[in-house]
Amino acid sequence: MDQEKQSEYIIEVQNLVRDYVSHKGVFRKKKHTVRAVNNLSFFVKKGEIFGLLGANGAGKTTTIKILTTLLAPTSGSVSILGLDPMTQAKALRPRISFVFGGERSLYWRITGRENLNYFSDLYHISNEIKKRRIPELLELVGLKDHADERVETYSKGMKQRLQIARCLVNDPEIIFLDEPTIGLDPIGARDLRNIVKMLAKQGKTVLITTHYMYEADEICGRVAIVNKGKLVALDTPANLKAQTEHTSVIELHLNEKDDALLKGLNQIKEIDQIRANHTDQYESVSLQCKEPRTVFPQLFPLIGTGHLLSVRTREATLEDVYIHYVSQSPH
Amino acid sequence: MLPIINVIFSSLNVHARQNFARATFQFVILFQPILLSFLLYMMLRGSNPVHAGEYIVVSSGLMNLWSSIIFSSAGDIDRERYMGTLECIYVSPSDFRLIFLGHVLGNLLLGLFSMVLSSICVVFLFGLQVHIENPAEFLCAFTLSILSFTAISLLIGLIFTLSRSARILMNCLEYPIYILCGLVFPISVLPKALQFIAYVLSPTWAAQLLRESMAGIQNIRIFYFDLIALSILILVYFLLTIVLFKKIDRRVRIDGTLGVH
Ligand SMILES: Nc1ncnc2c1ncn2[C@@H]1O[C@H](COP(=O)(O)OP(=O)(O)OP(=O)(O)O)[C@@H](O)[C@H]1O
Ligand SMILES: [Mg+2]
Repeated sequence: MDQEKQSEYIIEVQNLVRDYVSHKGVFRKKKHTVRAVNNLSFFVKKGEIFGLLGANGAGKTTTIKILTTLLAPTSGSVSILGLDPMTQAKALRPRISFVFGGERSLYWRITGRENLNYFSDLYHISNEIKKRRIPELLELVGLKDHADERVETYSKGMKQRLQIARCLVNDPEIIFLDEPTIGLDPIGARDLRNIVKMLAKQGKTVLITTHYMYEADEICGRVAIVNKGKLVALDTPANLKAQTEHTSVIELHLNEKDDALLKGLNQIKEIDQIRANHTDQYESVSLQCKEPRTVFPQLFPLIGTGHLLSVRTREATLEDVYIHYVSQSPH
Repeated sequence: MLPIINVIFSSLNVHARQNFARATFQFVILFQPILLSFLLYMMLRGSNPVHAGEYIVVSSGLMNLWSSIIFSSAGDIDRERYMGTLECIYVSPSDFRLIFLGHVLGNLLLGLFSMVLSSICVVFLFGLQVHIENPAEFLCAFTLSILSFTAISLLIGLIFTLSRSARILMNCLEYPIYILCGLVFPISVLPKALQFIAYVLSPTWAAQLLRESMAGIQNIRIFYFDLIALSILILVYFLLTIVLFKKIDRRVRIDGTLGVH
């Protein structure tokens, strides 16, 4: 393909900005602008699984909508398969596909098979290919036995899997997945990750968003962390974890809140970052440090009357990196 | 050509079934024709005019057609927006207007069914006589009426992709038309300004033509004049659909009104 020779990147996003303008008040008096994507740039290679991470409202869905021709950028440039999604949508649309996670984006009152059939027709898939592909897709997402039941009778996970099948009816070159595993049970989510990995092996490019950091760590070749519409980090999960010097985390679980402890911990200079969390069962305190050995001797004398339930050390995960970047950047 | 027909037919099939499973739509298709015929019958019973049967059949038929085609088709856009499917079908390689035409035709078929139902109601329940005096002209008027309803639906549906508050607008759209297009009272009782609006709306002409061809055409020249007026309106609606789509398509993507997320 010509376009792919020109550039090694299949998705090119440069200085992308998107503002939402809404009007408040009955007579449209007040104009209110939200900058959802703020000068975002990234590039994705063919066959990559690229993760887009960021808090709620970070601009992930907005970015995907722009890349999939649904939304116009305010400024900046986007090129997908060498095409401009805004002006060359017609040529681009047959070659890409998207899933917005959750149970929507399906017709609930008809069966799963009928849904796939309908979307195949909209993508001008010939009867011959349809006859072969639809059963294959149903098999792939494990819905073979429920294909002829109405979608409204499906569980959440089944609907989500049907959406994956739906997005594959046109055998797309790039797949955009917006939180495809949201609300799935652990096995369902694992199956979905396996499908995504398999698709990438077949040479498809996947851009995925998720709030589960272990998931991004497991499947993504590279991840971009976005905060308030801005790119704050972009690299392989391994490099990101190595980049942040905080390589270890000490986790304490206490049976009650201990303010004196927190105060004392602030004095220990070997600790780089402290996070206190409250759960139903316990108070948790996470300490990021380079060398737990140097922290422990100073740590235990600080623990006051409260009951220490457990202590453990672990390597920093992508989640720690994520929290590091997202909580660091100015609000 | 074949893929085009396939898209329209596939969309018709899916949406007719999606819609028929909805309780409100069942009401519109099955009970509303009976209720409307009954209402009109009660209104006319006192005055006992000639051609009461034809009047009721045409009025309740067109009211139903309006509800089922235009109201439901425009509503489909909003429903699909909240279902999340509007974005999916919009970015498919098929022309959105063709997909939506499938919706409209599906609703049309169901609307025709309710027209038949209201005719049966008038004849067998109220025992009124319904004749078609000029069958050829009636067929002509009927075909044009359906075309015009299809054209309006396409236009309104497209406009509804523009706004997330379409539903509010839609609710304001159903009943005024009954009065504005002379389906309940003759439009001559309306103020002049409203009469003008009535004449750019195709149901006004459709109602006149259908009634006349059923009751017997008094003046063939006026009839043909009306027929031409209706044809021109249809043409205008279709042209607007074609011309406006490019603009609407841009606007929709700038404003981001296809989805709710
Ligand atoms: N149609 C819209 N109109 C106005 N503002 C919007 C619209 N869609 C999104 N926004 C705003 O743009 C910002 C980015 O939203 P977006 O949905 O892209 O975030 P996200 O990263 O996908 O978040 P989440 O993880 O919650 O899905 C948010 O502040 C949101 O309120
Ligand atoms: Mg989102």
